[in-house]
Amino acid sequence: MTRQRFTFPRWTNLVLPFMIVAGTTAPLYFAIVVAYGFSPQATDVGYMPEQPIPFSHKVHAGELGIDCRYCHNTVEETQHAAIPPTQTCMNCHAQIHPESTKLQPLFESYETGMPIEWVRVHDLPQYSYFDHSAHVTRGVSCVECHGRVDTMEVVYQHETLSMGWCLECHRNPDPHVRNPDLVTQLEWGIDMSDAEKIANSINWREINNLNPSQDCSTCHR
Amino acid sequence: MGNLVKQIIDDLLKPVLADFKTLPLWITWTLIVITCAATIPLALIFRARTSFSDKPRIHFIQNMDNQPKFVSQEANALFLDGRAMRPRVEGTIARSGMAGDTHLFMGVVDGDWAATYPSSITVDHDLLLRGQGRFNIYCSPCHGAGGFGDGLVHHRANQLVETGVNGTSWVAPKNLHEEVVKRQAVGQLFNSITNGVRTMAAYRSQISTEDRWAIVAYMKALQLSQDADPSMVSNAETLPRKTTSEGSKE
Repeated sequence: MTRQRFTFPRWTNLVLPFMIVAGTTAPLYFAIVVAYGFSPQATDVGYMPEQPIPFSHKVHAGELGIDCRYCHNTVEETQHAAIPPTQTCMNCHAQIHPESTKLQPLFESYETGMPIEWVRVHDLPQYSYFDHSAHVTRGVSCVECHGRVDTMEVVYQHETLSMGWCLECHRNPDPHVRNPDLVTQLEWGIDMSDAEKIANSINWREINNLNPSQDCSTCHR
Repeated sequence: MGNLVKQIIDDLLKPVLADFKTLPLWITWTLIVITCAATIPLALIFRARTSFSDKPRIHFIQNMDNQPKFVSQEANALFLDGRAMRPRVEGTIARSGMAGDTHLFMGVVDGDWAATYPSSITVDHDLLLRGQGRFNIYCSPCHGAGGFGDGLVHHRANQLVETGVNGTSWVAPKNLHEEVVKRQAVGQLFNSITNGVRTMAAYRSQISTEDRWAIVAYMKALQLSQDADPSMVSNAETLPRKTTSEGSKE
């Protein structure tokens, strides 16, 4: 009985080099996918939900120069920067655009007393504690976390709002602190160099005795 | 040198290329397909990082991001109006919400507009600064930062009235330097802010009681600033002065 002699085909020479190449590129590939794809920059930033009324911050806060606090008037007193009640809109819109079709949900809400169902854009995890008043009254501007809302036709999430991002500022607040009277001036400082901003903010850090904490319990309480 | 390169190619690369030629077709195609497919996640990641989306955010690890509790202004389907935060029950008063002091909360003393500030309000420099800040937030959009009734919202509304968009009608905001307003007692000014006046809405819920008094104090200062006697200013002689023809205008 003769047995046929088995010879490996010639291409099997490539198996070893292939394993070396695949073994180095695959981990690199997955590292890239996880680092870039799982980061909040990919999953969270740029979230721009459609709102029940196409409210333009660009018109109201930008062109008309209405202060952020005219509508979000709880921001200096409380943790939550409230979405304004329908009445605040009606202060002007009882007279301005009273027949607009886009504003129908507003008028409906005013007549029925039912809330307008605005979609929340900035949503922190519920195990983290954030207080608007603590930041705004000490010179951290709205723009530091929300971006140039006064230029946004539709509001979107501009920053990652991740823990690492919070800590960046808590470790080095200097470039992010200003005169508390200017917190709602979103365009403030765009013509200033970082050095100028830092020189300015160190002043305000001292005046406000601002030493941001990095303890776990500051935000996870 | 050229020979050496040629020899390396002959010795190393050529055999590998010859190896490749013997690859079965199905293996070649599998490798090509896998390589192409591997670019898809990269392209999706690039898109997610650079574009806007109205789709809900992706949270790979949920942990306790959303807990079974209601936070400020959240929706709750249990109630007919959908609000998790419950409005005050009609006919009740919240703690510390008792407005018993008519002077402080209504600007009324003995059935007439109060001519003085309530005892709990100290009129000093800090109050005026506070009033200035609040005035610029809540009043200046219509009345203008100087109080002349020329705010940006007023200008915008006038444009809309001219073009006749969506039935806009507009009553010009009051010039706060008019004699009628100047003559008003602080209590009446306070009442106008609190309950609104003609087409102006009530600001009771938007501005706290103390801040409304601060705005009144600042308004009085603003009015004085446009109509002050030179003897009231310490270094009046050195300051530039408007000529009468300019100054008499509104």
